[in-house]
Amino acid sequence: MKYEGKILLVDDEAHVRKFIGLILKQLGATTLFEAGNGRDAVEVFKRENPNLVLLDVNMPIQDGIATLREIRQLSTDCVVVMLTSLANRQTVEEALSLGADNYIRKDTPKDEILASLRQTIADCFSVD
Amino acid sequence: MQSPVSTLPESQGAPPAPRPAVVEQRSLVKLKGRKVLIIDDDRINIRILASILQNEGFVITEGDSGERALELYEQIKPDLVLLDVVLPGIDGFATCREIRARYGDNAAPVIFITAKTESDDIVEGLASGGVDYLPKPFRRKESLARIRTHLQNKILNEQQKALVDQLKAANQAKNKLLGMAAHDLRNPLASIRGLAEFLCDGTVGQLTPDQHDLANTIFETSQSMLTLLNELLDVATIEAGELKVHKEPHNLSELVTKAVYLNNINAARKNTKIIFSPPDEAPIVRLDPAKIRQVMDNLLSNAVKYSPPGSTVNVRISGYHPAFKVAVQDQGPGIPENERHQLFKDFMTLSSKPTGGEKATGLGLAICRKIVEAHRGAITATNLPQGGCEFSIMLPA
Repeated sequence: MKYEGKILLVDDEAHVRKFIGLILKQLGATTLFEAGNGRDAVEVFKRENPNLVLLDVNMPIQDGIATLREIRQLSTDCVVVMLTSLANRQTVEEALSLGADNYIRKDTPKDEILASLRQTIADCFSVD
Repeated sequence: MQSPVSTLPESQGAPPAPRPAVVEQRSLVKLKGRKVLIIDDDRINIRILASILQNEGFVITEGDSGERALELYEQIKPDLVLLDVVLPGIDGFATCREIRARYGDNAAPVIFITAKTESDDIVEGLASGGVDYLPKPFRRKESLARIRTHLQNKILNEQQKALVDQLKAANQAKNKLLGMAAHDLRNPLASIRGLAEFLCDGTVGQLTPDQHDLANTIFETSQSMLTLLNELLDVATIEAGELKVHKEPHNLSELVTKAVYLNNINAARKNTKIIFSPPDEAPIVRLDPAKIRQVMDNLLSNAVKYSPPGSTVNVRISGYHPAFKVAVQDQGPGIPENERHQLFKDFMTLSSKPTGGEKATGLGLAICRKIVEAHRGAITATNLPQGGCEFSIMLPA
């Protein structure tokens, strides 16, 4: 299975980008962009116009919620999945109300993240 | 009305050789400079008491009526009050009740001065909030001993309260720190676990058996550290009073079925089976599904953990009114009687050991208890006559 869409992965921690990046690769992602904070993320977003954004919540310079607002102003049809570190009801609810499509807890076991992302991609795009 | 007082020097009349073993009690707290309010309409009584107390370094304030007592109390905030019963205006009992009403638990101890030793009087004095009484005529040593004791009690009480407050603050700070540390450690650990898993499953290239063994050790170790961190976080959250249960009507049987299904995957590694036959009628209980699921996962994984490989764990739902009961029966060694009381406490691991090299943090059951109690339910453990142990949770319908 190949996923040709553009994916933007935003997290300030390199190990998370590496881990989630491997999962995306396993899902067949071919075009992956990365950013380490919200401001850089918006830059990349404007330039590349990705189909899927994986967006961390707690980040320096500009956090995920503010970034989500900006992204939603630029595009309403790009799929945004929040990366959270805790099942923080409030943050998750806020993100969902601001137009995030889903969220993933980063401490979820790999196979569950894989299944959840596969589902998201299948729901949002037609995949070969 | 003058009362005779024994103010004889202590040595007088005492035999010259061996002094009795009555050693003046060493004070645990500094009593010098403590403020004593003496209220009596008899000036002579006041003078006698004042002279006894001033010798000991107490600071005396005096008044002659109940009304005056209340005024002076407000002004000087005494450490102790000596209060005559029969006074012009409001009497001693009423004055004492008023002091208790105004200053509550922080009120200074009140000792009644009474000529009468009738027990009615004493009882009424104690009922109005007094702590003791001084019979007239005053005996110097006895009076001093009583006053000292009550002052010490009061001061020690205050110190204890201050200490408890400090400890509470320290405990809160500890929980906050614990929470922060656990948060910050969790993400990197989750990545380590995930990356090790990638190494193990060959996604990034085949490993030699030795390399695979190492990668697997990294995976398992980070997995058990994550479990510990999560439990520490739970404890910190719960202790900070932030355990929030969001109760909603839920099919208990469905919840248990899911938990049993997933725990059976792990159980299969030990050749153990978890058996649950749902009751015919769906039990609908008001509960927080995620939290009760956590409790079930804990009870089920424990049952598997402590039962020998190849065991059968039985799960049952029973009782519909006034509470539902979910029981998990294992085939483990049971709970030693002398360790029972530790079972649901933080960080208490018992002498029983997991039978398949699993890890125990000693926090799981403590968390279960707190979650169940937040549902106004109860959790119990009973050794079964045929061996093994039954853990049950009771949830109000």
